[in-house]
Amino acid sequence: MNPITTVNGIGVAVPRSNIDTDVLIRINRLIEHPPDELGAYLFESWRFLPNGQPDPAFPLNLPKHEGAVVLVAGENFGCGSSREHAVWALASFGFRVVIAPSFGDIFRQNSFQNGLLTITLAADEVARIVSELQGSGQPTMVVDLVGQVVTTPSGRVVAFEIDAERRKALLDGTDDIDVTLTYAAQIEAFERIDLQRRPWNYRTTYEERAMQLLILPGDGVGAEVMEGVKRVLDWLRQSRGLDVDVHEEPFGMAAWRAHGTLMTDETWQRIQTADAILFGAIGSPEYAQIPAEQRRTDWLLEMRRSLDLYENLRPVRAIDALLDASTLRPEVVRGVDMVIVRELAGGVYFGQPRGVETLPDGTRRVVNTIVYTTPEVERIARAAFELARTRKGRLCSVDKANVLEFGAFWRETVQAIGDSEYPDVELSHMYVDNCAMQLVRDPRQFDVIVTENLFGDILSDCAAMVTGSLGMLPSASRGPVKSDGRRAALYEPVHGSAPDIAGQGVANPLAAILSLAMCLRYTLDRVNDAALVEQAVERAIVAGARTRDLARPGSTFLSTSEMTDRVIAELHS
Amino acid sequence: MFDKIWLSHEIAVLPGDVSLLYIDRHLIHDLEAGPDLTRLARDGRQVRRPDLTFATPDHAVASVPGRVTDTNPTGGRLLREMRRRCADAGIRLFDLGQSGQGIVHVIGPELGMTHPGMLIVCADSHTCTHGGMGALAFGVGASEATHVLATQTIRQQRPRTMRIRVEGRRSSAVTAKDMVLHAIGRLGVAAGRGHAIEWAGEAVVALSVEERLTLCNMTIEMGAKIGMVAPDDTTFDYLAGRPMAPSGHLFDLAVAAWRTLPSDPAATFDVEHVLDATDLVPQITWGTNPEQVVDVTGRVPDPAAEHDPARRVAMEAALAYMGLRPGQQMQGLAVDWVFIGSCANSRLSDLREAAVVVKGRHVAPGVHAWVVPGSVDVKRAAEAEGLDEVFRSAGFEWREPGCSMCLAANGEMIGPGQRSVSTSNRNFVGRQGPGARTHLAGPAMAAAAAVTGVITDVRRLRETTS
Repeated sequence: MNPITTVNGIGVAVPRSNIDTDVLIRINRLIEHPPDELGAYLFESWRFLPNGQPDPAFPLNLPKHEGAVVLVAGENFGCGSSREHAVWALASFGFRVVIAPSFGDIFRQNSFQNGLLTITLAADEVARIVSELQGSGQPTMVVDLVGQVVTTPSGRVVAFEIDAERRKALLDGTDDIDVTLTYAAQIEAFERIDLQRRPWNYRTTYEERAMQLLILPGDGVGAEVMEGVKRVLDWLRQSRGLDVDVHEEPFGMAAWRAHGTLMTDETWQRIQTADAILFGAIGSPEYAQIPAEQRRTDWLLEMRRSLDLYENLRPVRAIDALLDASTLRPEVVRGVDMVIVRELAGGVYFGQPRGVETLPDGTRRVVNTIVYTTPEVERIARAAFELARTRKGRLCSVDKANVLEFGAFWRETVQAIGDSEYPDVELSHMYVDNCAMQLVRDPRQFDVIVTENLFGDILSDCAAMVTGSLGMLPSASRGPVKSDGRRAALYEPVHGSAPDIAGQGVANPLAAILSLAMCLRYTLDRVNDAALVEQAVERAIVAGARTRDLARPGSTFLSTSEMTDRVIAELHS
Repeated sequence: MFDKIWLSHEIAVLPGDVSLLYIDRHLIHDLEAGPDLTRLARDGRQVRRPDLTFATPDHAVASVPGRVTDTNPTGGRLLREMRRRCADAGIRLFDLGQSGQGIVHVIGPELGMTHPGMLIVCADSHTCTHGGMGALAFGVGASEATHVLATQTIRQQRPRTMRIRVEGRRSSAVTAKDMVLHAIGRLGVAAGRGHAIEWAGEAVVALSVEERLTLCNMTIEMGAKIGMVAPDDTTFDYLAGRPMAPSGHLFDLAVAAWRTLPSDPAATFDVEHVLDATDLVPQITWGTNPEQVVDVTGRVPDPAAEHDPARRVAMEAALAYMGLRPGQQMQGLAVDWVFIGSCANSRLSDLREAAVVVKGRHVAPGVHAWVVPGSVDVKRAAEAEGLDEVFRSAGFEWREPGCSMCLAANGEMIGPGQRSVSTSNRNFVGRQGPGARTHLAGPAMAAAAAVTGVITDVRRLRETTS
């Protein structure tokens, strides 16, 4: 802080009461400009006319007050906001002293911190100085902090009071923090005693029930890739303070081997209550060993159904370093960044009637039924619109409106939601056959695609191969918002169980790790950590880390755990 | 009560009767945190107690649905700086989209971070809000905030004490906002200067915690940087079970200590005022500071009747800025904007109060009406009970939590010459945007203005509400 002793110069009066700090410096200026530039915007709304020209009638704009160092104002000067920028604006304009009948408490405190002297004088004395300043052609004043006197423009000498300690601090220009730190021993002693006296005061953890994560590694390469996920989770808990309860249960063949059943009651209970399920993969030739009776239930489908996981998100993003993995030409793939939003809880997979029957004449007949209700289409449409809003703002809805009634129904419903709730999102429609073609012809045209269950199943696999690196693709499936604000969610790599390479330690763990990133973003509200993990994966790839699926034929490649090592190393960097 | 809390935090008395006080909670926000922490680091200093410091972005973040870090680019720059500095210092940050993000003075009580008897500071003048929980809380500037970061203490001279008793029972249409606006109108914007104010009396004790927060929030508009209400069972019931409140045995210990905080019946105050809530009616401001307020049934006052010349000049300037004539009826003034939000009135009870008026009605043609919930948790709770649908279907915008149009720090502002009814706390010149004309009122009154398109006595709408 600059010491202050005597200020000798021009004075100016703005004799209004209750001049607030918003008027001294407008909020947008203090955000956009450093403290030493704020003087240009002091009293902006009064100093300038609406056309931006200086208001010639405002005292600060009068030639005789140019270069003013002393401001004289009405009572309660500097009331309102605590912004210290008001003091900085006054100082950067050139003011060293403000005289008023009274000051806002916080402003006064801030002034001392910056060596701006605030002098309180009786209202009638301030009024006299104001009229001297207004009447004088030579409005000069002297403020002497040593002698504690103000010399007015007419030459009158007026004494003022100031707290002795404050006066000393202003004269010396001392730094408060340095002074306070000389009391460090007393502060520590206070903390020690107070911890005994008020232990609750120091209990500052945020004890919302920790989120429950359930890991289900499942079959095939599931267990291998989920090892990588667990290591990234451990890193997040240690280095980023991620507070989650993680529990693991066997699933699929592992459950059969451990418990003699594909689904224990306990696992099913945990599935119902988990905030998120991190799923590995399902499917193995070994299922042939299980009696058909026990094998009948498809537990993944059962999970989706019971948790009502209607929203399936499949992001597909081209990474430059992996362009040659695609069967498409690099110039077609470069820059692809889309998400397919697939309706996952309705349509032909769940519609009744369904089944095969034998007709009286011996002919066999099969029926599957596509069923959708308006709310089912609306909720997936909203999910897709919301997602589009956080991205490029474009949504393509895919149907078969030219042939099927359900297609026209889908199209009308999505359009109505767009018109009434999301006019800011650019909505287009496409037939599913054309969409399949466009995905391989020019995939960059898509931002968010929304479609029904069967079409989504097909199109998402088609889109997955656009980048060619199946080992890099995560997915998320989410249920409706429940009364407590939570949503069931299941995160899984797209690649599946890959029985051909299972157990060899060569599977790519990145799709599973990127699925964890989606979990961080969507379930755990840890947007920063999600980005951290995604960036670490991308940096590892750019640095040349390749598992077998990504490596050029014949070149060396990393094992599953070595690839995880590389991601963790990038997280540390 | 004030003295008890002050003395229990006094580490030392420095020359010049300055107390060195220990800080229990330091809240930091996007406007100040990044620059202050950067300055601290530049001077080679450490944050002394990162565990007692909590951060959230509120001032400069966009409130538009689907907002991200850089939706408001200047806000994004500040937020990134705050994120980096908080991570370096180990300060807990409630970030965009997370439970806990919101206006600092909403999340403190809501998370149970604010307790009775605490000493709390924040680089924001509305820190007095936390006094509604029986805490001693006040706003500080950037230099003082930096001092707190470095030392976990503050140097302060003890203010004088003032008690404002509000006696009587208010009618059901009268809110805490009306009570405090009325009090400021009566006593003036400078009445509390140099004082810590304790709000007391029958009408204050009867308030819910959220209403007490509104009352204390506007204590600074009376010139006092501290406003408090004695903690009682209402306070303890509110705190029980909140995520950061003590629990179990510790909670019982804490409550036993908190019960000793209220002022002794014989306590004396340097200044005492008594107001009556009995005949109070909904309030609305007409001018450019909160003391320029009238009953909604009233008229714009005439500066000619004001004896004090400085006050008269201020009134004339206010009328010119607000585009009003002396004697004009407040009711029937056409409004362009309605803003329901801010640390004064953005809590669940405020949104409920507004929704009662809005339900079954529609925003008047030409009026922009916004609801900006005070926090992510307020927003989620409101959505769980369908309030968002009530507002949306009536034509309101339902937005993301932050300070938004209270002070237009995030670029969301009202155009020159446009008139707004706002549930915020300041009607200063240019506060909601250059040339914007702000009328302060409670949430129900703001809702009434939105659905009628003019300033309206909400009691008239209530009569027609089934």
